[in-house]
Amino acid sequence: MPTLETPIFETRGLSKRYGVVDALDRLDIKVEPGVVGLVGANGAGKSTLIKILLGLIAPTAGSATVLGHDVRTRGTDLRQHVGYMPEHDCLPLDMNATEFVAHMAQISGLPRAASRERAAETLRHAGLFEERYRAMSGYSTGMRQRAKLAQALVHDPALVFLDEPTNGLDPAGRDEMLDLIDRTGRGLGISIVMATHLLGEIERVCDQLIVIDAGRLLHHGSLAAFTAATETLEVEVTSDAGPLARRLEEHGVACTADGRRVLVTTDGTPPFDVIRDAVVDLGLGLVRMQQHRRTLEDLFRVEAIAAAASLDAPDGATGQEAS
Amino acid sequence: MTANDRTAVEGASNIYDLGYRRYDGVRLGRWWAVLALYRESLRGAFGLGRSTAAKVAPLVLIGIALVPALIQLAVGALVPADLEIIRASEYYGGIKYILALYCGVVAPDIAGRDQRNRSLTLYFTRAISRTDYALGKLAAMTTAMLLITLVPQVLLFAGNALSTQDFGGYLADEWTQVAPIFGSALVGSLLIASIGVAIAALTPQRAFATAGIIVAFILPIIVAGILVFEIDADATRYAVFISPLDVLDGFTAWMFGEPAATDTAVHEAGFALWAYAVVGLAVSALASLLLIRRYGTVQA
Repeated sequence: MPTLETPIFETRGLSKRYGVVDALDRLDIKVEPGVVGLVGANGAGKSTLIKILLGLIAPTAGSATVLGHDVRTRGTDLRQHVGYMPEHDCLPLDMNATEFVAHMAQISGLPRAASRERAAETLRHAGLFEERYRAMSGYSTGMRQRAKLAQALVHDPALVFLDEPTNGLDPAGRDEMLDLIDRTGRGLGISIVMATHLLGEIERVCDQLIVIDAGRLLHHGSLAAFTAATETLEVEVTSDAGPLARRLEEHGVACTADGRRVLVTTDGTPPFDVIRDAVVDLGLGLVRMQQHRRTLEDLFRVEAIAAAASLDAPDGATGQEAS
Repeated sequence: MTANDRTAVEGASNIYDLGYRRYDGVRLGRWWAVLALYRESLRGAFGLGRSTAAKVAPLVLIGIALVPALIQLAVGALVPADLEIIRASEYYGGIKYILALYCGVVAPDIAGRDQRNRSLTLYFTRAISRTDYALGKLAAMTTAMLLITLVPQVLLFAGNALSTQDFGGYLADEWTQVAPIFGSALVGSLLIASIGVAIAALTPQRAFATAGIIVAFILPIIVAGILVFEIDADATRYAVFISPLDVLDGFTAWMFGEPAATDTAVHEAGFALWAYAVVGLAVSALASLLLIRRYGTVQA
């Protein structure tokens, strides 16, 4: 199966259309092994992408490979090496976790004895001990999420898709699940694609980031590069920051206005002098200038502001498309 | 604290890390996965690995289906005469309604359970295709039907053989019955199973599925009965083919090379008996295709 160099998945012109809605719109992406955060608002196309990669739904156009195999023609072979934890409830509650997980291992092609052995090991890994012999109807949400994770890992996949794995968990349960994902990804070296709309979770466990919005790729790259390389200077003034942003742009400074704040994006030393002079010229009061590393929230804020701005612009068509 | 205690405490602090190892053993692929699906579906249908309540209904129905055969066995053991109460060729006619009821109880478990649990996703993202899944379920249901068709027939054959004075002579005379017994049980099971799972796969609701299956088997018997016996016109005689259980009567008689029993719609309609075999196989094929199509498009 896959070598270290094989991309865990790759798509070319991948599109999925439901009626008049583009769930995925000509997505081109190549993803290297690692723990990958797939982030986007609800309805952005995360689940659609995962379902196409797993062969649950067929794309309208384009192609996709997972672990180097075409999802359309080699689906049953490649899925012996892929795990999936769906977002929704999917457990047969009248079974106990051991029987269920061992059965799922066999459906992934493992022999019977190996299935039983691995079911026990994987459930322990997921944090289910004595309770694994009880019917799952008596499980808490947290235990059910663990059983769902165990069935996704039992056949030792090279790649696991997790769809909103912390859904419905309380803060402590969420912490434990993220730890577990971290141990599975970094500890065991299993590649993970984790869909979520919670940026904090991505920052905590992922080393790569894919952002999609309205079926389009907004960003793909290493998380460290994304948060470290780009720095943002936040400039807060005493009244509307719009004129200041325009003045800075005239000086060639990349920035966006947000209420009384201007977010200045820099790759090196921020142009402090230019900002100071512009504030003085416009007769504004400078409240603070704060330099901080860009967070994932900024990515969304900047994109949202850019989209809103292009809606206001005379040729608003682009903005509408992106929103 | 002793060294042992310390080890125990340290062990407990990272207990989650115990166990999981990478697997580089054999992966048996698609056919093994279908076999596992088949086995588990069959187990589930009889409540094995489930609560006791889940075991009751199918076992009671199998028991009822066995009663005629058991009576024959008892009679054979007690009465020293060549007394053949039930002939194998007429057996399905006698347990028609039990067959429908049994299918109504078992098929929703085999074909609807994963939809109810929303676990279809987990199957379709593993080593099997949607068509494999449909065929695995059909095979499981057909096997479940064999328990209620073939097993009593085999018992009945043994019972009839024992009830005669001359066991060896009975076998020598009646061995030609063996192929029809197996043939009619196989085709009959496939026919009933394919219709049953094709209906049960349409809904995750168990009650709807059970009702739908029973209606699908019983209503045509009534309609065909009215059209064949009461109206009895040339055109309405064809109505006998809409009833799967009458079709089962027809091809069972054909396989045993005997005329249909006189009080049946098959006898009254008067068609050549091979036509029932053709219709039976055609309906099984159609129902199987509908099942494959259903699982091919069902949202997972």
